[in-house]
Amino acid sequence: MDLYLPIAEVSVNAPVLVLLGAAVGFISGMFGIGGGFLMTPVLIFMGIPPVVAVASEANHVAASSTSSVIAYTRRKAVDFRMGGILAAGGAVGSLIGVEVFRVLRGLGQADLVVSLSYLIFLGVIGGLMLTESLGSILRRRRGDPPAPRGDRRPPWLYGLPFKMRFPRSRLYISVIPPIALGVFVGILSAIMGVGGGFILVPAMVYLLRMPAGVVVGTSLFQIIITTSLTSVLQAGRNQTVDIVLATLLLIGGVMGAQLGARASSRFRAEELRALLALIVLIVGLRMGFGLFVTPDEPFVMMAGNG
Amino acid sequence: MADLPPPASPPALVSAALTTTQVQVTSDFRGARIVLYGAVFDPLDRPSDVVVVVRGPDQAIRIARKVKTGPIWVNSRPVVFQGAPGFYMTASTRPLDRIARPAVLQSLGAGVDHLSFSVPGNGGIDTRFGSRDTVVSGQGADYGEWRQAVVRLKSRAGLYAAADHGVSFVDQNLFRAEIVLPTAAPIGAYSAEILLFQDGQPVSRRMRGLTVEKVGIERGLYVFAHQRPWLFGLVSVFIALGAGWLASVIFRRN
Repeated sequence: MDLYLPIAEVSVNAPVLVLLGAAVGFISGMFGIGGGFLMTPVLIFMGIPPVVAVASEANHVAASSTSSVIAYTRRKAVDFRMGGILAAGGAVGSLIGVEVFRVLRGLGQADLVVSLSYLIFLGVIGGLMLTESLGSILRRRRGDPPAPRGDRRPPWLYGLPFKMRFPRSRLYISVIPPIALGVFVGILSAIMGVGGGFILVPAMVYLLRMPAGVVVGTSLFQIIITTSLTSVLQAGRNQTVDIVLATLLLIGGVMGAQLGARASSRFRAEELRALLALIVLIVGLRMGFGLFVTPDEPFVMMAGNG
Repeated sequence: MADLPPPASPPALVSAALTTTQVQVTSDFRGARIVLYGAVFDPLDRPSDVVVVVRGPDQAIRIARKVKTGPIWVNSRPVVFQGAPGFYMTASTRPLDRIARPAVLQSLGAGVDHLSFSVPGNGGIDTRFGSRDTVVSGQGADYGEWRQAVVRLKSRAGLYAAADHGVSFVDQNLFRAEIVLPTAAPIGAYSAEILLFQDGQPVSRRMRGLTVEKVGIERGLYVFAHQRPWLFGLVSVFIALGAGWLASVIFRRN
């Protein structure tokens, strides 16, 4: 069943998009990420103009994240205070990001920056996570004791001013690192059409040293706020949110997210991380690949007037 | 055709009509096929060729060339072509170059190769966001290469086409042509120009109009998104959050 999208101005197969939304929603609920880093490239590949894909995907991520955050809230696995601080940074970040994206479109360099961001961020994070999680899987197989968790948190977390208590994360740290992290993720959210969970989750584990139990729920909570804001800003400033596209994706997405959140409890954390790392790495390399090969067609047409 | 010499014999005339003059873009829009019918009236029955030129609304085209910078390929500074049609097709009884000389086709703007992109007289620079888009002038050295790229990319998208035998005579003087609009065809007013050629010269001409417009919910959403963009954004976020909440409620009951 083909459907013409009013903003993207292309015709798409509706059931395929619903299924795609469900698959990405499943991954989203399972790993506590938005899933935008998977969906945005797929949409672009399907012929949706990149600017519309990026903006509409933010909306889809907001929906799947809401769906799974409610499940995590029931398990008391969301640190709302930390999420709120991250989101405050995220709000500033998406404001900056949407404007940066406008300028990049004007320069004709939006595609390049999107591809490069995917290659660099997904490549580095996927690589690091894969090394780390494969390491712990191997140690467990060999029966070695787990690596020392290095509970000595980095001193700069404590040296900075504006400290705040985060009871649920059992932290007493400066708000500056979480805000900075939020700003950074907010910018990426607008430019890459992602929620930023793939950066937030590792950053919360390895930089902020939050307990693993609250990381996923908190990441999703902040993603809802950032992507909702990004959606409104993209619609308001760029008129690039396709509500029909977003709705198709989120119908599948919200259901997939529920199933994914349930499935996640059946796997070991490091196995989940290894799997996620692999997916992240593959997507990053695939998106970056195009930058290095000689193009068949040396010219590119820019969508619309921007 | 005012500069044509007055014909000594009764003039040949062409007449044509479109089967549809209004293409409605609805949610199941997958492009459209429009049939054009016409007739040639020539008491002397001289050999005639018919050329149909369909033009869509003008759209500025921004095109960039990928250049290798270090190990990676990046886009050059975009080049802007003003006033190129968003859709352009020709259909003719024979290949255009056998119907008339290039100069004649050029003056009529008939054929993708003779399409004049109305570029500013001496080439200008359009500044936006601090970047300078080059506006190509007709005299530039590599103008031809860029122009070919525009035509190539547009053709690949089904937006520029030339049907060399797209006009066929179904009966002695009755001809027929098909206009194929792809899903990506721009919204707006189109014109179909029907030209009758005899002996390499245009002798009669008809113009027919055609509009492509979004209707119903497609139009409603498009207008909403552009006239009330902030409210549109809020509504779409509301739908997203509501759907997320609804799913978690439903799944909890199960």
